[in-house]
Amino acid sequence: MTSTSFCLNGREIAQEIDSRQSLADYVRETLNLTGTHLGCEHGACGACTVEVDGTPVRSCLVLAVMCDGKNVETIEGTRTDEAMNIIRRNFREKHALQCGFCTPGMLLTARDIIRRHRAPNDAEIRAELSGQICRCTGYMGIVAAIKSAAVEING
Amino acid sequence: MKASAFQYVRPENLTEAIELLSGDPDGGAMAISGGQSLLVLMGLRFAMANTLVDISRLPELHRVSESADRVFLGAATTHAMIEDRKVPDPSSGLMPRVASKIAYRSVRNLGTIGGSMALADSAADWPACLIALDADIVIMGAHGERREKAEDFVRGPYETALLPAELVVGIDIPHRRTARWGTNKVARKSGAFADSLAVFVDSSNDGPARLALTGTASHARLLPRTSTYAHENRILDNADLRATILADLEDVDPLADAYRQRCHVATAMRAIAEARL
Amino acid sequence: MSISPETETWIGKSLLRKEDIRHLAGAGMFVADIRMPNMQDVAFVRSPIAHGHLLGIEKPAGREASVFTLVDLGAVRCIDAGPELASFRTTPYPPLAGDRVRFVGQTVAACIAPTRAEAEDIAEQVIVNTDDLPTVVDAVAALQPGTATLYDGWSNNAFIHATIAEGDIASVANAPVQMHRTLKMNRQATVALEARGVLAYWDHRLDELVVYTSTQGPHVMRLGIAQSLGLPEHKLRVIAPDVGGGFGGKNRLMPEEIAIAALALKLGHPVRWIEDRREHLIASVHAREHHYDLTLFAETDGRVLGIKGALHVDAGAYALWPSGPFMESSMAARNLPGPYRIKHLHIDTHTVATNKAPLGPYRGVARPGACFAIERAMDELAHELGMDPSELRRINLVSAADMPYRTAGGLLLDTGDYPTALEAAVEMIDLPAIRERQKTPEPDGRKIGVGFAVYTEQSGHGTVEWTKRKSRVVPGYESATVRMLPDGTVHLMVGILNHGQGLETSLAQIAASELGMHPDNISVRHGDTGSTPYGFGTFASRSIVFSGGAVAKACRQLAIKICRIGAHLMQTDTAETALRDNAVHGPSGSVSLAEIARAANTRPELLPQGTEPGLEVTATYEPPDSGGVFSYGVHAALVAADPKTGIVEILKYAVAEDCGTMINPLIVDGQIIGGVAQGIGTALYEELPYDEAGQPLATTFGDYMMPCATEIPHFEIRHFVTPARNTEYGVKGMGEGGAIAPPATIANALTDAFRDIGAKFLETPMTPRRVSEAVARAHGENG
Repeated sequence: MTSTSFCLNGREIAQEIDSRQSLADYVRETLNLTGTHLGCEHGACGACTVEVDGTPVRSCLVLAVMCDGKNVETIEGTRTDEAMNIIRRNFREKHALQCGFCTPGMLLTARDIIRRHRAPNDAEIRAELSGQICRCTGYMGIVAAIKSAAVEING
Repeated sequence: MKASAFQYVRPENLTEAIELLSGDPDGGAMAISGGQSLLVLMGLRFAMANTLVDISRLPELHRVSESADRVFLGAATTHAMIEDRKVPDPSSGLMPRVASKIAYRSVRNLGTIGGSMALADSAADWPACLIALDADIVIMGAHGERREKAEDFVRGPYETALLPAELVVGIDIPHRRTARWGTNKVARKSGAFADSLAVFVDSSNDGPARLALTGTASHARLLPRTSTYAHENRILDNADLRATILADLEDVDPLADAYRQRCHVATAMRAIAEARL
Repeated sequence: MSISPETETWIGKSLLRKEDIRHLAGAGMFVADIRMPNMQDVAFVRSPIAHGHLLGIEKPAGREASVFTLVDLGAVRCIDAGPELASFRTTPYPPLAGDRVRFVGQTVAACIAPTRAEAEDIAEQVIVNTDDLPTVVDAVAALQPGTATLYDGWSNNAFIHATIAEGDIASVANAPVQMHRTLKMNRQATVALEARGVLAYWDHRLDELVVYTSTQGPHVMRLGIAQSLGLPEHKLRVIAPDVGGGFGGKNRLMPEEIAIAALALKLGHPVRWIEDRREHLIASVHAREHHYDLTLFAETDGRVLGIKGALHVDAGAYALWPSGPFMESSMAARNLPGPYRIKHLHIDTHTVATNKAPLGPYRGVARPGACFAIERAMDELAHELGMDPSELRRINLVSAADMPYRTAGGLLLDTGDYPTALEAAVEMIDLPAIRERQKTPEPDGRKIGVGFAVYTEQSGHGTVEWTKRKSRVVPGYESATVRMLPDGTVHLMVGILNHGQGLETSLAQIAASELGMHPDNISVRHGDTGSTPYGFGTFASRSIVFSGGAVAKACRQLAIKICRIGAHLMQTDTAETALRDNAVHGPSGSVSLAEIARAANTRPELLPQGTEPGLEVTATYEPPDSGGVFSYGVHAALVAADPKTGIVEILKYAVAEDCGTMINPLIVDGQIIGGVAQGIGTALYEELPYDEAGQPLATTFGDYMMPCATEIPHFEIRHFVTPARNTEYGVKGMGEGGAIAPPATIANALTDAFRDIGAKFLETPMTPRRVSEAVARAHGENG
């Protein structure tokens, strides 16, 4: 166990954490924030994507104890985020989700893409999405949603 | 797929880190930085440690400096920092390009150049790139700092020149401001490990031509004959070039079957062609 | 009474999906998200070897009480799986291995601890003692005389041999053109992004075992689990919460489900197992793995007369309940004539046991293989005859005038216009422009090619078809309960399951249309045997036909009662009423659904005399012709391939399809695109190879290639709408169709790209290595 404190979705956490616990397992099993999904546990599917200090990371490949002093945001922390809610609406309108399992990771990745590319084209979005597995949609709706959300957010 | 139990320690400085790594004579202490490969191996229980020494915040590994003829990138420099040109680029765009093709963005946000070299996966991108750039790997151990040429540092699959309780502290790369370069990769899909990856840095007034290849049965290697041939000939004869690459392959990937040979020849020729477009 | 379709229908509207809201919030509730007090996690010890006697299991000292073997589970029955045919060899598949292990990954023991990590710590210390028996990994070689068998007492390794024949194949033995090909579609995983998971506990208040499981059919799973545990069904409640994709892979009773349920009964606290990705790849439902050896008989003008040959399906080590692996073989053989007027068919099928994980259904079931075989063979024949493959198809396709047409596979193609869909696909991909472009080499040295494939997709098949298949469970109908609450809003309970298909939206659209309501005022409930009427779940592209029909039927019956009450409240005659806009309208005024629902539910004194209170109807539905209705389509792809490295890029992909009436076109397009993406995975990327010792070689996503956004192209889709004759609204099922044609389409495009050298593409997935080797072989070089 390692004493760890960090800011999670705007709230200060200070706990003894099992050193081997991944950030994903910690937020899911200890904090019951189950919007972060585990699709592979080896960094290849992107379902568990969360933000640490403002950049998306795979929470299955981050030890919770390594987040000490950092700022962590999970999908639950984005519910009032204006940009994210624009992305959400575009996801819905473009049918960018079916079973919903990849969706939280997709949304966090989408927001990062839109931050780093003002007006990404299809090829850029697809390249940035590589490593985010969606088994249901065939990605077309996701690409379209990110493209239109970027226009809306970045003008 | 959960790692077995371990102790976690986060030393304040490099000396302390090396002491911690030296303190476990059975090698039960391992360093973790980005963790993007190590935690996969630990989750699968292919790798285990009694103690994980978190070196991700050591100031010594975050040092970045640039001189007239060289760039030093601390080992903790992430692929994303290189991709985004947030650190000096000695390679006129080669390193950002190579970085951008490593795995996926959220992996690149944490994965580090030092960690990639220290792990030395036989299909990883940085060893080939840094061999082509003739970089030095800067190593720190209990007995002080030493350097290895990148091509001497990687020695086999997951095998390097690192001695127990030594750490990669950074990469020292000569400037190739005027060199043109090319790189070509064959992988089963985007982000997958390379079946063949060639990185070519052409001759220029700041250095000779160097072609490095990975995706071999063993580890990234310089193709010496091909490098010399390209250095000495501006106009390349495709048949000669091909024969030269094949001659190099007999040394660097003797077990390659016909398909892997085709891939190696293709990536090597295309990397050179891209540089000379 | 009437409802007014002009103003009220929601059929055909691209309504945004209701289920999106919770998933976009990250508030879905999947099995792994459920928290129970005192819950413990299970890690399974799995067989490290492919075949051997299980000689003993050594539990770690001090942790004996945390490790459970088959004998520790208590009385568990191995229920028979597979078709009810005397010729099918049933195999007991115990939840934990008994005296023998037959594939790497088979469950051997269950270890239990407060966390999964600790459970894995225990599992790691369990020692499994086995000896080694000969390993069978090749389904064709497995039937050679003298080969070791997986099961003592079997004369060879076949679960079943069966011949599918129609017409008289001997009559075409002298056909002027005879072409022989062998083709292979390799084994793959189903890979729902949410892997499987089970959570079970005894609910003392309700005196029942509750099993949460990520399944496509909770009612059928209850039957299987109840029989396995010897538990009466009223003491067992199965709940599928949010299910993160299924695609067939969550529609079989699996050993882990039985083991976890048995442990919960034994231990008295909640027990959970969440499948990890490695477990999924080695031990969950595997799919495909067909070997075809076919001869086509044809006239010189391209008319195909008959198909003769053999099909081996590598079924893995066990038959999964309920259907087992035989459906894969028989369906594949019956679908070989495809959409063509081929009169004579003779296929010997062999469903073969090997030391691999058991085979189960996956989107398209059997047909991606059959389509790959016939559509590749049609192209090969076209090349032999010097014809354009699209022209050869045109000559052989069943035409609209031929409908209904009974194929040589015994399938009754009901409605549609296949040649028109082919023309559309040719136009969408712009065949003439591609032929022009092919005249000059590509500047990047790649070769480009165009390919087509036609498919049909049987859906909505009921009692007749499933009885013919000798199914142990005959999914011949679906049920729906519609319940109007006192404020006039509606709960709709259905026996199918929504795991991404948008059924919470499309079924609400159907109910809304029938009840003159807005879909927002209708909640669709599914997935809980405790609160939904009986049903078989979502698979075989059946839900919109069956469940949509049941919803329509129940709502219509309810509408009659609503109008009767409305007429009474307005003091008019029921015949004078119309149900629309949330109200019953009479000649002089209207009464809202809320008023009617209030009367029916909470103010019975307002009801007409003799009318029972309440507004609730349960209906079951089966289409009148239960042989099925057939969606169909034509796929066209333009690909570019690197002749050296073998890397393939899809430059353009077009789909012309007809699934009858569309309830929600947005959802239909989503199903098509998602299906095609999975088909592209089958075509180019996904494979579960085994070595000769039966060790699986793709155990993580590092080895198992999942297509991502960079691998999947943009799609163009054109719809034709030929309503089915016998279903509600003329719908046809369409969930699987997208996945059927891509392997054939892409292989045909690659063949076209390398037509000048005659490179052969007869095996999936067409990985860079296979493509490069095919080209090298065509050049007479070393593969």
